[in-house]
Amino acid sequence: MTPFPLRIVTPDGIIFDGDAEELIVRTTTGDIGILAGHVNCVAPLGMGRATVVIEGQRRYAACMGGLVSVLDGQTELLPTTFEWSETIDPHRAERSMQRAQTVLSDKDSSNTDIALAEARMKRALVRQNVASLK
Amino acid sequence: MAGVSTKEIKTRIRSMESTRQITKAMEMVAASKLRQAQAKIACSRPYFETLYSTITKIVESGTELSSPYLYRESTGKVLYIVIAGDRGLAGGYNSNILKLVMSQIQDKEATVLPIGKKTLDHFRTKQVPLFTEAYPEAAAVDIGDCFSMAKLLSRAYRAGKYDEIHVAYTGFVSVLSQTPTTLRLLPLSDSPVPKGNGSSDIVYEPSAEEVFDTIVPEYLGGVLYGALCESRASEQAARRTAMDSATQNAEDMIADLSLKFNQARQAAITQEITEIVAGS
Repeated sequence: MTPFPLRIVTPDGIIFDGDAEELIVRTTTGDIGILAGHVNCVAPLGMGRATVVIEGQRRYAACMGGLVSVLDGQTELLPTTFEWSETIDPHRAERSMQRAQTVLSDKDSSNTDIALAEARMKRALVRQNVASLK
Repeated sequence: MAGVSTKEIKTRIRSMESTRQITKAMEMVAASKLRQAQAKIACSRPYFETLYSTITKIVESGTELSSPYLYRESTGKVLYIVIAGDRGLAGGYNSNILKLVMSQIQDKEATVLPIGKKTLDHFRTKQVPLFTEAYPEAAAVDIGDCFSMAKLLSRAYRAGKYDEIHVAYTGFVSVLSQTPTTLRLLPLSDSPVPKGNGSSDIVYEPSAEEVFDTIVPEYLGGVLYGALCESRASEQAARRTAMDSATQNAEDMIADLSLKFNQARQAAITQEITEIVAGS
């Protein structure tokens, strides 16, 4: 497949800068796939699995928040967090999920607590899902 | 007579020595913090730059939507996010950025969002209206705070409370040079974007309005975080330089005083000998 230039940059640094053959990311309205020669587009990212094909190798990552843009062939993926599946600690995700569960099952939790716990739960689920794809 | 002055000089030397010890220690602490802050900048800068250039490109490509984020006529209601330090003894770090902001907001109806104790204290005494006092400690603000701040700011901007949002921070050029800078965050464009000519060939998913509504808070948060990292590194660099010169000054004074001390001691001995010789 024809490669295209891709940059993945998070606040923690450049994750990837080079040629990729395919990128699939979860936007707020669903997954979009990007191949070489994609039309110029901009979309905000949701929470979910990202798939990147580099030199024929398929890699998975947990990718949350931020935006993806294709402008004149240059693809920029600017997520708030981006973790390759092999760097995810599934036990940490598990613990995080349990903490969220206790908040959610507590009747006295405030609305903001519940919102935070829900977001945490979602992140943990994404991480677990991605980690299992190693 | 001579004995009194040697004693005085001795006390002064001792006090200079303890001052030197303190400034030396502060310099070393600042140097090690600077190293951490520089490593953080190295990580966050590419994000900051890519985010900024991507948003600029989107804006320049000419969109047919009329989002309030893109352009709004200014009526002088501005909001400044001012990032300075929590502590002094950092040379001109705090005063330079505060002076720059004061000169820019003079004839405007300005509100300030202070980050850091020095900023908070300064604008409180100047009685400038404050957006929030929730961030009195610049060192404690993390990336999550930046994003929640960005959400609040974009909501206030959409509600029309402010026409412009600026951020004032100290850019880290090098260990020896830091420049106070202000950057306009919103609106994104200088001029009203021509409407409906369809010059843009960018596809927005799901719609341009929704993309901007989601992206702008993310953009603000990212840029704020970048500015914060820059400022923190600048603070440590400024403090290191200031403490380095303070240590140098203390050493110079100690050398000077030691010379005086030795001269006074020598004079006292000479006088004593003269007295003994004269007496025998």
